[in-house]
Amino acid sequence: MTSYVSILYLLIFLPAVLLVYNVLPKKYRPIILLLASYAFFWSISRKLLVFLLVSTVSIHHIGLWLTAVQSERNDVLAKTERSGKKAVKALYIRRQRWIVFFAACVHVGTLLVLKYSGFFGRNINTLLQTAGVGLSVPILKLMMPIGISFYTMQAMSYVFDVYRETTKADKNLGRLALYMAFFPTIMEGPICRYADDAEQLWEGRRSTLENLTFGTERILYGVFKKIIIADRLNIMIKTLYTGYADYDGGMMAVAAIAYTCQLYMEFSGTMDVVIGSAELFGVVLPENFRHPFFSKSISEFWTRWHITLGTWFRDYIFYPLSMSKPLKKLTSKARKKIGNHFGPLIAGTMALFVVWLFNGLWHGAGWHYIFFGMYHLVLIVAANFVEPFTREFLEKIHIRREEGPYRIFRMIRTALLVCIGELFFRAEGLRAGFCMFNKMVTQFTLCSFTDGTIFSLGMDKLDFIVVALAVLFVFAVSVVSEKGTNVRRLLSTKRRIIRWAVCYGLILCCIIFGAYGMNYTPVDPIYAGF
Amino acid sequence: MNKKTKDIIGCISFMVGLIILFAVLSVIFVPKDNSRAAGMEAVQANGILGEKENTIDYIILGDSETHSSFTPMQIWKDYGYTGYVCGTNAQHLYESEKFLRQALKHQSPKYVIMETNAIYRYSSIENAIMAKAENYFPLFRYHDRWKNLKFSDLGGSVQYTYTNYSKGYRFEDRIDGVENKEYMKPTERTKHITKINRHYVNNIINLCKKNHIELILVSTPSISNWTYAKHNGIQKLADQNGLTYIDMNLLQDQLEIDWETDTRDKGDHLNYSGAVKVTDWLGTYFKQCGEFTDHRQDAAYQSWNKDLKRYEKKVSGK
Amino acid sequence: MKEQIIEILEDIQPEADYETCRTLIDDHILSSLDVLSLVAELEDEFDVTIPTVEVIPSNFNSVDAIAAMVERLQEEG
Repeated sequence: MTSYVSILYLLIFLPAVLLVYNVLPKKYRPIILLLASYAFFWSISRKLLVFLLVSTVSIHHIGLWLTAVQSERNDVLAKTERSGKKAVKALYIRRQRWIVFFAACVHVGTLLVLKYSGFFGRNINTLLQTAGVGLSVPILKLMMPIGISFYTMQAMSYVFDVYRETTKADKNLGRLALYMAFFPTIMEGPICRYADDAEQLWEGRRSTLENLTFGTERILYGVFKKIIIADRLNIMIKTLYTGYADYDGGMMAVAAIAYTCQLYMEFSGTMDVVIGSAELFGVVLPENFRHPFFSKSISEFWTRWHITLGTWFRDYIFYPLSMSKPLKKLTSKARKKIGNHFGPLIAGTMALFVVWLFNGLWHGAGWHYIFFGMYHLVLIVAANFVEPFTREFLEKIHIRREEGPYRIFRMIRTALLVCIGELFFRAEGLRAGFCMFNKMVTQFTLCSFTDGTIFSLGMDKLDFIVVALAVLFVFAVSVVSEKGTNVRRLLSTKRRIIRWAVCYGLILCCIIFGAYGMNYTPVDPIYAGF
Repeated sequence: MNKKTKDIIGCISFMVGLIILFAVLSVIFVPKDNSRAAGMEAVQANGILGEKENTIDYIILGDSETHSSFTPMQIWKDYGYTGYVCGTNAQHLYESEKFLRQALKHQSPKYVIMETNAIYRYSSIENAIMAKAENYFPLFRYHDRWKNLKFSDLGGSVQYTYTNYSKGYRFEDRIDGVENKEYMKPTERTKHITKINRHYVNNIINLCKKNHIELILVSTPSISNWTYAKHNGIQKLADQNGLTYIDMNLLQDQLEIDWETDTRDKGDHLNYSGAVKVTDWLGTYFKQCGEFTDHRQDAAYQSWNKDLKRYEKKVSGK
Repeated sequence: MKEQIIEILEDIQPEADYETCRTLIDDHILSSLDVLSLVAELEDEFDVTIPTVEVIPSNFNSVDAIAAMVERLQEEG
């Protein structure tokens, strides 16, 4: 099982777990989910399961440890005079911080070693080489357990939440283990918080008919996105990104747009399958996408794309950093000097820099990922910087930015900026990325569209038509749900013949127009590699 | 009727409807001829579908080793026996089984030769499930034909007309030699055959038994693919099932393969001159078995003589 | 206190109806940079320290929530 959109997962594993889950009495159901999750993990990463187990046990222990310190503090506080309370609080916060620091070292340390030692090793070696030192550090090739980037984030958010006392430490090791390992989310997220799903998962509710139909519909929609659009675009994207030297600027634009489309369809499609899978068990997971291509600015885009990663960085990196004492001081000083808009921007930018550095690095060890992060940082900061001027300018020429054509202009502008970012993101290294970008800007022609090159990349006219129609369908669904309609609930109010026709239609479209079988190689799960 | 039974009946009828749709679409999507234009895949190997009923004496199953090593036209020329190579690149055993199953609908061969390299090819459970599904509903295999579906496909009648003049053999006279060396070093080790593959081998064995066919396991000469441990594994399989096993890698003194000239890719596949040697050996073997009759003068087989002319033209390079 | 808070908010981001809106954060009416300005303003205006732990959506989603948080922090001293 290397993908959620596979026969083994969708037609064998998931139905089997679902059946056993519902047949067994309530108290055994969470255990079944936990066992199934470990079996799933084992089927991909074998013995590396140990990493997950160690993480789980350690956060269980750390959670209880923090609670013990907190309750000791409360006892002491109760006995202290009002004047001494501040000192007691500070003392215990310091002690707790050490525990959190220890937890971060264990988890982030493991992630750093497994994921980045190669990258740092290589860069150190180049550095040593250019410095003329005849030394080199050995580069380890380490196996990564599946989903480590995701479950490490979940583990840390649990520790932080217990530290902040927004979540109570869980005594039940099993519940915590299931929160960490739940098989639909282990590979590609969404990155859940303990408060999101741990309780629901452990409840063992029976699946209702509504759970089953809604879950299945959601899964079908995800499969539709993945195998009709993302997989069909795969050959062309591979050809363009590996052989970019042979094509002109127009094709580079195609590469940027096609990859953005593939990435969205692949990732959000997988999320549909994941969230749908959880829904089958009556579990509601947090959404990871909210129609990102309706965003009017880059910062809005990041509140709609990979939401759970963004909020994680916001809550555990951005706010703590920008609210830290030195930056807060900076903010209040700056506000007095340069005003209420630009003042917080300085400290905010510093915190954002760290966020985007981490965000880039989180996707993988590579300079092009770091560049990707910095690209978005610059766009966000620049937009914030010019914000007062744009506002003033638009007011002067009487354009309402939230309405009509200007709104659509903003959406398209944002989408294009995102496409450029994704071009660098997908490019085979930073140099290739710049080369492709340069080509796109300086050698832009439409020749390849007329001389037949466009149809020589592995997709013929009919392939393009199918992809276009499928994208249109997804777009239509997005427009309807962006307006606040729950599409599946709407469908459930219709007559049976219509409901069935829609389901049959989706299934048959996937089977007939899906890019699977003898002539295709499906795209590997993109985010599982991060 | 309470809600629960109603729901269950609803689910079941939905599934039944879906299966009916699959079946109907399968009839539409299945290629109506075995030619490439009609949407058939692996047309050389599937050329056997166009052969006249009960005219094939032996069938060879397996991966690219088979269509590189055996040339049935040579045996026809020398002995008048008819055979067909149902070999495709990187063939999986479930495909071998499918080739055999569909060939047996129209043919009644006396021998089936299974080339053993495919027995060591890794097949995932997923592949196996998909292959099963394709057998029941060809829609899953031929879904891509939506691109060139014709109105006549709706009728659903299938007629196979394409035949292949070299009977599945793929002529290749490129030479890319390699130093002659002893690659079959005797060992006690046995290479394990996976459960999935064992399952398919058993299916093929049973299929042959049911149709009174003798199944022969053959390992064709290949430096890159064959080892003594694999030999031991197949020998064990043959012994367990009472099958004849011929390992040509151990018959060097009879075959006299010269790896400097008889291979097209450094010892992975044989080229034409290697195929001539291997086919010669097989022809003699069939002759000794004495099960086949010479059809060369038989009026019903005259198309084979015509094909032979085309074949000879091809291999002589004119 | 509410009027003061609304005044601060309108200074930061004028395009919202602060009297009724209860999803300032959840609907991304306030961006994270806006929240930074807001926290700084609140700290000055009401003489409190807002620790990071308090910067969670539920404390900033509406004017009422913000006021409640500030009051609580003032009491705790």
